[in-house]
Amino acid sequence: MTTNPAIEARQLRKTYTTTRGVFRRERVERAALRGVDLKIAKGELFGLLGPNGAGKTTMVKIFTTLLLPASGTALVLGLDAVKDQWALRKRIGFVFGGERGLYWRLSGLDNLRYFADLYRVPPEVSRRRIPELLERLDLAGREKDRVELYSRGMKQRLHLARGLLNDPEVLFLDEPTIGLDPVGARELRVIVRELADAGKTVFLTTHYMFEADAICDRLAVIRDGVIVAEGTPSSIKTLVHDQGIVEFEVVGMPVERLAGLRSLPGVRSVAISEHELAQVVTVHCARPADVMTRLGVILDGIKLEKVSSREPTLEDAYVQLIGENPTNSEASP
Amino acid sequence: MGTPGVAVTGLARAAFSAFRVSIRLRVISPWAYLNWLVFPVLFAAVGLYVLSSPGAASSHVVYGVLGGGLIGYWSVAYLEGGNGIQEERWNGTLEQIFATPTPLWVILLGKICGGLLFGLLAFLPTAAFAYVGFHAVLPALDGGRFVISLGVLTLSFFCIALTLTPLFALWRWAFSMLNGFELGVYVLCGFMFPVAVLAPWAQGVAGFLAPTWAVRALYASTLAEGPHNFATWWLATIGLSLAYLAGAYFLYALVERRARMSGQLALA
Amino acid sequence: MKRLALEAGVFGRSTYLQYVALFQWANPQGYVAYKVLLPVTQILFFVELGVYATGRQNALYFALGNALQLTANAGIFGVIATVANERQYGTLPILLASPANRLITFLSRAVVNVIDGIATVVIGLAIVVVIYGLNLQHANLLLLALCVVVISLTTAGLGLMFGSIGLVMRDAIIIANIVYYVLLIICGINFPVSRLPGAVQVLAYALPLTRGVQAARDAAAGASLGQVGGLLAGELLVGLMWALGGYLLFRLLENWARRGGLQEAF
Repeated sequence: MTTNPAIEARQLRKTYTTTRGVFRRERVERAALRGVDLKIAKGELFGLLGPNGAGKTTMVKIFTTLLLPASGTALVLGLDAVKDQWALRKRIGFVFGGERGLYWRLSGLDNLRYFADLYRVPPEVSRRRIPELLERLDLAGREKDRVELYSRGMKQRLHLARGLLNDPEVLFLDEPTIGLDPVGARELRVIVRELADAGKTVFLTTHYMFEADAICDRLAVIRDGVIVAEGTPSSIKTLVHDQGIVEFEVVGMPVERLAGLRSLPGVRSVAISEHELAQVVTVHCARPADVMTRLGVILDGIKLEKVSSREPTLEDAYVQLIGENPTNSEASP
Repeated sequence: MGTPGVAVTGLARAAFSAFRVSIRLRVISPWAYLNWLVFPVLFAAVGLYVLSSPGAASSHVVYGVLGGGLIGYWSVAYLEGGNGIQEERWNGTLEQIFATPTPLWVILLGKICGGLLFGLLAFLPTAAFAYVGFHAVLPALDGGRFVISLGVLTLSFFCIALTLTPLFALWRWAFSMLNGFELGVYVLCGFMFPVAVLAPWAQGVAGFLAPTWAVRALYASTLAEGPHNFATWWLATIGLSLAYLAGAYFLYALVERRARMSGQLALA
Repeated sequence: MKRLALEAGVFGRSTYLQYVALFQWANPQGYVAYKVLLPVTQILFFVELGVYATGRQNALYFALGNALQLTANAGIFGVIATVANERQYGTLPILLASPANRLITFLSRAVVNVIDGIATVVIGLAIVVVIYGLNLQHANLLLLALCVVVISLTTAGLGLMFGSIGLVMRDAIIIANIVYYVLLIICGINFPVSRLPGAVQVLAYALPLTRGVQAARDAAAGASLGQVGGLLAGELLVGLMWALGGYLLFRLLENWARRGGLQEAF
């Protein structure tokens, strides 16, 4: 891997000014990005997680040259997204989630041909590439139908095909699975993972935790225009190390035996609740697997039932990162 | 990034592609037929009836023969700038085409040419209606001057559409305003009656509109009487059109910047 | 009493939707463009055309005809916009499911649009009277005002028919656009109906505006109510017929939709 990152943000800031009111115009400023630093290596599948209005779309639009930052630098492939937009646009692709952004009354093929020309793909190349993309994105056979007859999943795959027309080195996907049914979303995730495996750098935004967990090499969590965590999915999970749970039922256990459990490394709390015949013990801990293996030793001679454990999920981490003092709920443009 | 020749070919291909898409979308849009077929004929009908009122001069009827066509031609041409942009915004495609490596003006060039081609069609049903319904013809048609005048008028429509489009992309209300003022344009450009009948101040305003002079030349080329200063009228239209283009140059730079500042291309 | 409250509620909600449709312009420029600029330039265009063809002494003829025709703008497009809003906000099923009187529900769609129509005509007429210095000294202004009210009602009646068509046809607004301009040609707005081919004359008298505009021109020339009463009664009858036709279509569509034949309409 080269030292030059594929995507880089340095102290990126963006403020939107909107006017409110009809007669007495009032200017309202809202910060969408408040100094974001990011580096994404070539070939990486990078996920940006965050709630609506956190600044995800703003970031994608800045990198794809659609928006100018208020200050800071946005570099893609070493090109400045502000000044080098013409050179940059040829080398990147982008897909926004949802059904808009296509000419519904034209066929899928017409849509692709049009955008191939706008992306200035030489005709000899597009003649070869368009059928390839249709095949790969499972649209072959339906390419001559009008887009309005396509299912949501097909439209989204057509979007992706459009984003790949210029064989971009970097692909930006803004909530690409939004509104898709589970099967369609999974198909799309598989394709995105394959693209990254084939060497493309992919910048994906999403608010689906499992999606980020399943396919991303690395993640950042953004809240109110600030990156609050960054790392691999598993490293982000360790941020919430005390969110694992081990739970079991026992009958007639002396309370003093619980001291052994409390002394285990990584255990945050042990709670016991009385039920009719049994007691339910809940252990909050960092590594449920470790606790599970030691249970037999500590509680030797006591019959345990219904033992269950749950590792901390990315969702736990996310909820903790985002949930603290949520302020900004406005949707970004 | 290749040689300049390759770059020009690529741009030309992009413009042609936009032209083709513009035609295709029009062929299947009921609104397009309304604008080049139905409305021009309806306007021609009112015009022909009023202009052939008892007591009206017989030369007036020329304005009924061509007026509907001119109205249709203008509507289609400027709507490509206004409605075209608005529709792309609704579809969410405005942002998509803006983000391609092809400058917006190249795409619009193709789209506007598609609009002009469709707009020219408006002369066919209106002239046919005038002939069949009113036995109205152009009494002293000077074919050569007529065609040149129409060509000059086309140039002015092209320049106006190219200039208006970035305005519409930036300020949606500008489109509402011009839409509301559409019949005012028919008045000021003399589409269905000469500008000379207007109040002096209105004639003054009309003089700054490029199509006014070409329309005057167009009607003069069909009538025997009256002054025939064709060269002056053509030059006036061409000069004003080029002045608009110069303004457009700055507008496009502004669109590029403003759109990227506010991200308003995405809004529906 | 409960019944009355219910009807009032439905009426109020529908009126509110019309109000929303009327003032849906996102900014004041939109309102100025479509409610002021468009009507005034439309009158100016046809007045100038008429003056060019027939002389300045006829300016009032064209001004009056075209100003009154603007009621069709409010009536037809206003009702269609109201129906579109009902669909957008999903309030129609609620109205249909309620035990409220169908006729009242239906007619209530036109209320605001009738008022809007009257306002448009008054503003448009006032502006052209000033611009062209038109002389209304001999006019029976009270009767002229009555004509404006009657025509606003009758064009809204035609609008109600299009409201019903709009429930099944997404592109009903296209047909409405065509009808709007057809009214301009055949209802004696810019030239006497008698110049039209016979069959078209029959159609003209089956449409709103035709008799009303004649009555208004007579009123502007100083006629009394007794002289134009017949015309106005005929005008009202025509408007009522269209409203009734629209209502029947509305009930037909409602039944059809209930039986599952019309998923998209409501």
